[in-house]
Amino acid sequence: MTTTLLDVKGLAKSFSRNTVLHHIDLDLQPGSTTAVVGSSGCGKTTLLRLIAGFENPDAGTVTIAGRQVASPERAVAPHRRSLGYVAQDGALFPHLTVGQNIAYGLPSPARGAQVRARVTELLETVSLDGSYASRRPHQLSGGQQQRVALARALARKPVLMLLDEPFSALDTGLRASTRKAVAGLLADSGVTTLLVTHDQEEALSIADQVAVMRDGRFTQVGSPQQVYRQPADRFTAEFLGDCISLSCTVAAGIADSALGRIRVQQRVADGPATLILRPEQLVATVVSDGEGLNGVGTVIATEFLGHDILLTIDPAGDAAPLVVRQHSLNPPAIDAKVRIEVVGTGVVLE
Amino acid sequence: MVAPPIPHATAPVTRSGPTTRPGPLVAATVAILVAATFIPLGYVAWSAVSIGWTRAFELIVRPRVGELLLNTVALVVITVPLCVVIGVGVAWLVERTDLPGRAFWRPLFVAPLAVPAFVNSYAWIGVIPSLHGLWAGVLVTTLSYFPFMYLPVAATLRRLDPAVEESARALGSDSTGVFFRVVLPQLRLAILGGGLLIGVHLLAEFGAFAMVRFDTFTVAIFQQFQVTFDGAAGSMLAGVLVLLCLVLLVGEASARGQARFARIGAGVPRAATPIPLGRNVITAQAALAALAVLALGVPLWTILRWLWIGGSDVWVLDDIGTALGQTIGLATMAAVLTTVLAFPVAWVAVRSSGFLARMVEGANYVTSALPGIVTALALVTVTIRVAPPLYQSVALIVFAYVLLFMPRALVNVRAGLAQVPISLEEASRSLGSSPSATFLRVTLRLTAPAAAAGASLVFVAVTTELTATLLLAPTGTRTLSMLFWSFSSELDYAAAAPYALVLVVLAIPVTLVLFRQSTKAAAL
Amino acid sequence: MRRRWSRIAVVMSILAVVLGATACSSSESDELLIYNAQHESLTKEWVDAFTKETGIKVTYRQGGDTELGNQLVAEGAGSPADVFLTENSPAMAAVERAGLFADLEADTIDQVPAQYRPATGKWTGVAARTTVFVYNKTRLQPDQLPKSLLDLQQPAWNGRWGAPPTKADFQAIVAALLQLKGEPATAQWLAGMKANAKIYNDNIATLKAVNAGEVDGGVIYHYYWFRDQSKTKEMSANTELHYFRNEDPGAFVSLSGGGVLKSSKKLEQAQQFLRFITGKSGQEVLEKGTSFEYPVASDVPANPALPSLNTLQAPAVDPSTLDAQKVSDLMTKDGLL
Repeated sequence: MTTTLLDVKGLAKSFSRNTVLHHIDLDLQPGSTTAVVGSSGCGKTTLLRLIAGFENPDAGTVTIAGRQVASPERAVAPHRRSLGYVAQDGALFPHLTVGQNIAYGLPSPARGAQVRARVTELLETVSLDGSYASRRPHQLSGGQQQRVALARALARKPVLMLLDEPFSALDTGLRASTRKAVAGLLADSGVTTLLVTHDQEEALSIADQVAVMRDGRFTQVGSPQQVYRQPADRFTAEFLGDCISLSCTVAAGIADSALGRIRVQQRVADGPATLILRPEQLVATVVSDGEGLNGVGTVIATEFLGHDILLTIDPAGDAAPLVVRQHSLNPPAIDAKVRIEVVGTGVVLE
Repeated sequence: MVAPPIPHATAPVTRSGPTTRPGPLVAATVAILVAATFIPLGYVAWSAVSIGWTRAFELIVRPRVGELLLNTVALVVITVPLCVVIGVGVAWLVERTDLPGRAFWRPLFVAPLAVPAFVNSYAWIGVIPSLHGLWAGVLVTTLSYFPFMYLPVAATLRRLDPAVEESARALGSDSTGVFFRVVLPQLRLAILGGGLLIGVHLLAEFGAFAMVRFDTFTVAIFQQFQVTFDGAAGSMLAGVLVLLCLVLLVGEASARGQARFARIGAGVPRAATPIPLGRNVITAQAALAALAVLALGVPLWTILRWLWIGGSDVWVLDDIGTALGQTIGLATMAAVLTTVLAFPVAWVAVRSSGFLARMVEGANYVTSALPGIVTALALVTVTIRVAPPLYQSVALIVFAYVLLFMPRALVNVRAGLAQVPISLEEASRSLGSSPSATFLRVTLRLTAPAAAAGASLVFVAVTTELTATLLLAPTGTRTLSMLFWSFSSELDYAAAAPYALVLVVLAIPVTLVLFRQSTKAAAL
Repeated sequence: MRRRWSRIAVVMSILAVVLGATACSSSESDELLIYNAQHESLTKEWVDAFTKETGIKVTYRQGGDTELGNQLVAEGAGSPADVFLTENSPAMAAVERAGLFADLEADTIDQVPAQYRPATGKWTGVAARTTVFVYNKTRLQPDQLPKSLLDLQQPAWNGRWGAPPTKADFQAIVAALLQLKGEPATAQWLAGMKANAKIYNDNIATLKAVNAGEVDGGVIYHYYWFRDQSKTKEMSANTELHYFRNEDPGAFVSLSGGGVLKSSKKLEQAQQFLRFITGKSGQEVLEKGTSFEYPVASDVPANPALPSLNTLQAPAVDPSTLDAQKVSDLMTKDGLL
């Protein structure tokens, strides 16, 4: 029997007269990483703080490793919950060295050689040299501070790690590599992780489970593939990535649209509907002038993104321009004629 | 490229919750302290009741009293803004610019508080014999009290995050703009606290005007004690000061606003790069030197003149040594105790909101608005009846000091606590430290510089305190202040001078030590 | 971390022990306790001489008339004090009114002439000071001096003299004036004072102002002048004293008082002390010392620097009948208080 490590049931929270969280349910399996993704102000940080114990729920329960830690009547204090919490900007103690910061949660005596060894070990885990232990937080860059904060939280071998927008303070170049490193080390240490972020790419890349939050409610919870490929609603689809919506007519599981016949993922009633596709499902190939005009459009704009290129294509007929994303080698030029092919299935959403 | 840290600001925190509710120990301590402040306040109220309406009316509604009240109000209204300008200016010069010798200036400007009020007014009359009236009062008190503004502002400046100012600069503000639009608002709590402290002390001030022929409302209070030996009448009049103090408190509270002040985000600020003064160095140094001459030089000149006349005979080292020892002993005890007790009250004031929190803080200030004799007599009356063994004991006088000088510690601790980001405390608790461990390991250490400023203010206050010590200290206590007063009232100024000198000089190393220790603790 | 905790605990416990140990006051000591509002140097001389002669140890609590007087009244029967010495009589009268004094022994009373003690026998004068008119030598010639205190209400003296009306010892002068000349005359004089006089905070401020030439003269008590002359002279170098004499209210002699507290647990020794200081050796301290106050008892002559008390022609005023309240009311009505 696999026990869930974190079990949130029916959690609700209001501040003054604002309801920030409505009836949240979430399960975390041991060793997995879950990302709660949503825009600013949707309530994801509040959820994290409720689990950490800095706030008490108005309704619902939080159970960690089989022990109920929060309910409207009783709450276990944060320092007894055996969690690791990494705040958005690290929250390193300015009056302590890096080493003292990391050793903060460890039982004293803080000067033991054992503790020092552990500090060095933790620093190495976050890819920082052991010599950093004697530095002060203000001597580190933002990314380094973040990593120290991580090491500090991991020092106590918590059963659950809570990360609040851990990479948002980093610049883009650093973000991806740090993300990868952190994901790796969390997976290696086998600790269950819950992180909140507003960056959907981050959520999709790191997490085993993604929960999309909107205005205090989850719109969908599932694996990254599930939420991306089979979004439950329009909002979720658009939040997790660009969408291309086509009006179509469904008949027996096939949608008839301006781009041709496309298979529909779910069971849907027949009739007119809107089909959602992801940009990478469309492939544009240049056609020579002579070929047939079916499913052919004209490139009206290109946007070079380095690795990818975005092509804005005006399809034949009165359909709206489509945006196709593909690799940037030998891209079609503006005004080129391209045929658009659709790969995979589409989703019909209200 | 290093990403700039998210700009922090001292801004309203809108979250509420169990993190900000005081624990039972804190609540109990605060309750006891508030109860203690009701001893002098209750005495005043009882006096008012026992005097009765008609007599009270007679005593209060007199033309002379109206004149005196006007003087008091005018004094407060003029002196407080002056002190703000001087205190903030000095703090800024000393903490934020590259002024050479600022390590020397920093502790020096605490010393004006240590000059006995009598010496100040005597010295100024010597310099300008015709000095009298409102401007004389303003001059003497401004020079004595600006350190009340300087200390909390300096402590706050040291912990401000330069990132906010840098962002402002990047957005196009020049230095003046940055100062007025970014730095000054963050100093609001410290300035309001300092201003409140000065206002409250001005209400109770008496000795400073001894020679300059400026009478404030406290004169009317003293008269009742002097003429009728009617403690009740005098204390009832002191009730008017309580009302004035309430006005000040309401003013400060509304200026502070509903916001609880806490830093958003974590606090790992880089040390601010000192602002280069360039050619203004000379003006700055001249200004500071002029201030030092006026605030310290004039009284010191008088003291040195007396010492010169007295020769070496007046240096009775035995007596001076004993007095010094006793003074330091009492002052240290009081400073430590007061600062420690200031924390729970400041905690409630800064981290909670609501009327109760404000009342808790306010109750402590009101006691400071009362002249020392009222508080002392209140304690005499209550202790003799309720706890005779405690009468005229060390415990009692230290307790009196705590009551009298709590606001000095409070103002500073409050400003310091407001600078500690809540996220640091949360981080500590998530790492397994209980709330009290968090307080000791994180909050206390980060508040150390502010607490040190408060402690040094209390220390200096105790060394110069007279009335309560005369009445309540154990018989045989001879502090520096008592001996100075004893000699000067016999016109033996030469003999009094060594004590005055020691008083003034003592303040400086004490402040220096406190500053240094606390800076180390907060690792600034 | 644990070490820091234990360090804090140690400090706290030391503090607690210190406070606890010193919490109990030394009320069981065998020393006589004086609440002393008289100048310290004088009392110290008395105390040293007394202990030398009788072997009884004495300790005192130094304060001011106002502070100690109010404190005694507030302490009531629980006061630890045995003896009260003051600088002026109003404080003594107040404590007497509160019923806190014990009757003085006949031996003590017999040593003091009747005009220097109240008829009630609850306290006695132990030293005296006379009212004087101190004037600036360069601004006033001897023939321009006022002949009587009452002259000062004349318009001619407008802005030319100063006094400290808020001090209890000045109010004693006004109380004497009240007793000698009656209420209307006093009210009139007070009105004149309000118009003419510059108000100073105390005797010292008045003396200093006269010396600096701020005013031509001032009404103070004599011994401030003598003390300053014997020390730094910084507030009297340009001044001289003028005695009103002729039993003028301006020649009022104010008493420093001494009394035994009824609640004293050492009544015997307290009475002995009073007897001593009004006795020959006690009063000789005033003659030979540097307090420059007048002895009042046992026929001891004054300090040679001072004009003898019986040449001053002081008016006869019973000290315990001085109506401080009435004076306060009159002065309040005139806006002086």
